[in-house]
Amino acid sequence: MNRDAPGLFRGIPSDQDTIKITERPHSMLAYIIRRVGQSVLVLLIVGLVAFSMFRFVGDPIDNMLGQERTMEDVERLRVQLGLDQPFPVQYFRFVEGAVQGNFGVSYRQGRPVAEILLERAPATLELAAVSGLLAVLFGIALGVFTAIRRNGLVANAIMAVSLVGVSLPTFLIGILLIYLFSVELGWLPSFGRGESVPLGDWWTTGFLTTSGIKALILPSITLGLYQMTLIMRLVRSEMLEVLRQDYIRFARARGLRERAVNFRHALKNTMVPVVTVIGLQIGAIIAFAIITETVFQWPGVGLLFINAIQFVDIPVMAAYLMLISVMFVGINLIVDVLYVTIDPRLRIDRAGAH
Amino acid sequence: MNRIVSFLAAGAVLATVADAEEFRWAGKTDPQTMDPHAVSSAPVLGFLNNVYDGLVRMSKDMTLEPSLAESWEPIGDGEGWRFILRQGVTFHDGAAFDADDVLFSHERASDESSDVRSWFSPVTDVRVIDDFTVEFYTSAPNPLFPASIANWMMMDRGWAEANGAARPDKESGNFATLNVNGTGAFMLADRQPGLTTTLVPNEDWWDEAGHNITSATFTPIQNPATAVAALLSGDVDFVEPVPIQDAARLASSEEVNIIQGIETRTIMLGFAHEAETLKYGANAGDANPFRDVRVREAVAKAINVDAILQTIWRGSAQPASQFVTPALSGYSEANAVRPAFDPEASKALLEEAGYGDGFGFGLKCPNDRYPNDEAVCQAITAMLAQVGIDAELDAMPVSNYWPELRADNFDMYLLGWSPGGSLDHEHPLRFLAATPNDEKRLGSWNFGGYSNASLDELLPSILAEIDPEARQALLDEVTAIYQSEVAYVPLYVQPLVWGARANIDLTQRPDNFFILRWVTVN
Repeated sequence: MNRDAPGLFRGIPSDQDTIKITERPHSMLAYIIRRVGQSVLVLLIVGLVAFSMFRFVGDPIDNMLGQERTMEDVERLRVQLGLDQPFPVQYFRFVEGAVQGNFGVSYRQGRPVAEILLERAPATLELAAVSGLLAVLFGIALGVFTAIRRNGLVANAIMAVSLVGVSLPTFLIGILLIYLFSVELGWLPSFGRGESVPLGDWWTTGFLTTSGIKALILPSITLGLYQMTLIMRLVRSEMLEVLRQDYIRFARARGLRERAVNFRHALKNTMVPVVTVIGLQIGAIIAFAIITETVFQWPGVGLLFINAIQFVDIPVMAAYLMLISVMFVGINLIVDVLYVTIDPRLRIDRAGAH
Repeated sequence: MNRIVSFLAAGAVLATVADAEEFRWAGKTDPQTMDPHAVSSAPVLGFLNNVYDGLVRMSKDMTLEPSLAESWEPIGDGEGWRFILRQGVTFHDGAAFDADDVLFSHERASDESSDVRSWFSPVTDVRVIDDFTVEFYTSAPNPLFPASIANWMMMDRGWAEANGAARPDKESGNFATLNVNGTGAFMLADRQPGLTTTLVPNEDWWDEAGHNITSATFTPIQNPATAVAALLSGDVDFVEPVPIQDAARLASSEEVNIIQGIETRTIMLGFAHEAETLKYGANAGDANPFRDVRVREAVAKAINVDAILQTIWRGSAQPASQFVTPALSGYSEANAVRPAFDPEASKALLEEAGYGDGFGFGLKCPNDRYPNDEAVCQAITAMLAQVGIDAELDAMPVSNYWPELRADNFDMYLLGWSPGGSLDHEHPLRFLAATPNDEKRLGSWNFGGYSNASLDELLPSILAEIDPEARQALLDEVTAIYQSEVAYVPLYVQPLVWGARANIDLTQRPDNFFILRWVTVN
């Protein structure tokens, strides 16, 4: 099997070895079923770890009762919420509800958690989609550019500036952007999502209003900057690696035009690891939206989670963590499956194994 | 010429914007419910004061004034209070307000499920005399009762019962958690919990409106830097609170005004009075020095409050001598002097108590409850080290802090107290100084277990004393007791810092309630 794929590729855990063993035609289905089984196990463990940690976050009781409470009230509420039980029992109750689609009621808002999450999800997903798109488009374009012009002045300048993207913390970038574009220039709103429009029963979108689009710009840059830098640097190093390969030299020797060499032969062959990383980064974008959402008061699930931590709103924290782990596990699963489907070398390899 | 034209054009744009009188404001905390009886917290009660009315209300200078009750008078010889209700008042849905709604609101607010039921613990009976007269009977004479229910808001029986909200439900919420039907100056137009809440004026309000707002939108903004940026960029017209370190910079901006006052919250140090031994630090397990009044006094004298106010608070806070500020009722003028900073006297007291070589102990402190809480604790730790006692500082988020204090895991701790309800000196006495007694609902925040028999004995008579002078004399006596025993070390009173755009007129009330009907957009 050809495992000589360059760069980061080697660092990414994958299950190709498991795939190779299964050779029957329905092996893919069996593989998926087994992976789903593993995923459920991972989710259960994540939940258990989360619940064992909640008591370190603090006690929700004091936030729920006013200063006029008595010790008796504290005890009564603790029993009522089941907080007097050991955490495995609390966890079991949560899982019991969760498999029936009931994530409990938020301590803070007094509303079903599922309802709140659904309400907040569109804001986060739209922000993540725009940031992801920006990161991929600019990341790949700048990566290719800096690889081809590796000694050029502009390329080096881009590389230097990109260091800012990886080294400055997100909240600082956010605040800097707000001060520049909202306070000093007054072009863009400093917080919020602008006006959003309902689409069907489950979705609200900010794409259809001017204020919604304007409000998206700063947060999506803030959120996508790190990923963009990462993709750019990855594409660049992959490209440089590939450009050194023999087939590129032969392609050049055959007199192919530079553009064809760069894009058809070189870029295409760098894409496998890049797609993998992009896939995994989609999860990261949604999960890391927490900080961006806090800085911009973006009404998504990340902000909800931060509020939940401050209030020790255990049902919301639990549901959010489960949601994020479902997403990560799911994306990993899809990436692993896609991997086999899109990489021709792996397919040839499997055929050869027969 | 061009400049003039564009200036005029800009003026015209501003004028059209101003005509709409849309007011947008931001605060740190979203009111977690719209139910006025479900949660007794300042963000909730403060916000709901704009949409609901009580029988009485606080004026701009914190004096009691009529609201849904036109007048009130004591019954007989202090048996209770009679309220004469205002006639012709309607709820937002058009239903008329009468004595039955008062009765219902009492049933609802004094119910087991209500968070404000302690306001009604002195009440033994409520009688409806006619449609506009209600009598409240109390177990003992209770001169403060009208003031203590200033935040008790009236709800319509018909509306609440029809919508299944006859009792508050904090844990799982009900119709009243998200909807409002009050008699207040504003009506709830839109409510998205945690995101935005929009109010519109109630055209049929019974009182003079006084404001010129056509629509008001509240957004919680957690991150203080974002809130300040939103104010500077004009995305919001008003924010509270403004971080103290940003206040000076904002005040120098021409577009923004800083409104600064003194809050009702006193920050103090508390001690483990009851514990036999120290729990933390170098001397953990040794006898508890804080049981000795000389050691507590030494602590009080070792802390340079003026330095804390100068450096950490930049002169915006005020030193405190007792539980309440001079602005509140029951403040003891006779005991207005706080212990002077005197490290030598402090060392002498420690020497006398047998701790001349100092000792180590644990200081618990929240790091997200009060502004600058952790910084103040660090300063105190350094000051105490100067007289030879070493505090092991343990600062933590507030959601971990209260459970630790409840479990007696401290030798010394930081506490802030704002007298809710009546805004009277008696309130902190009951919660902080009375010997803890769950049955009598006393001393529920007296974590250290401070206990003084004569203070406990005087407390009920303070509650019942109708004559203001006699009452103040009792309060002076009690203040002298807890001061001389150094039950707590009152440090300072927190400042209240609000920021508003230059075209906004508003009134800041010391209880940090933002009252929308006092806002004018110019």
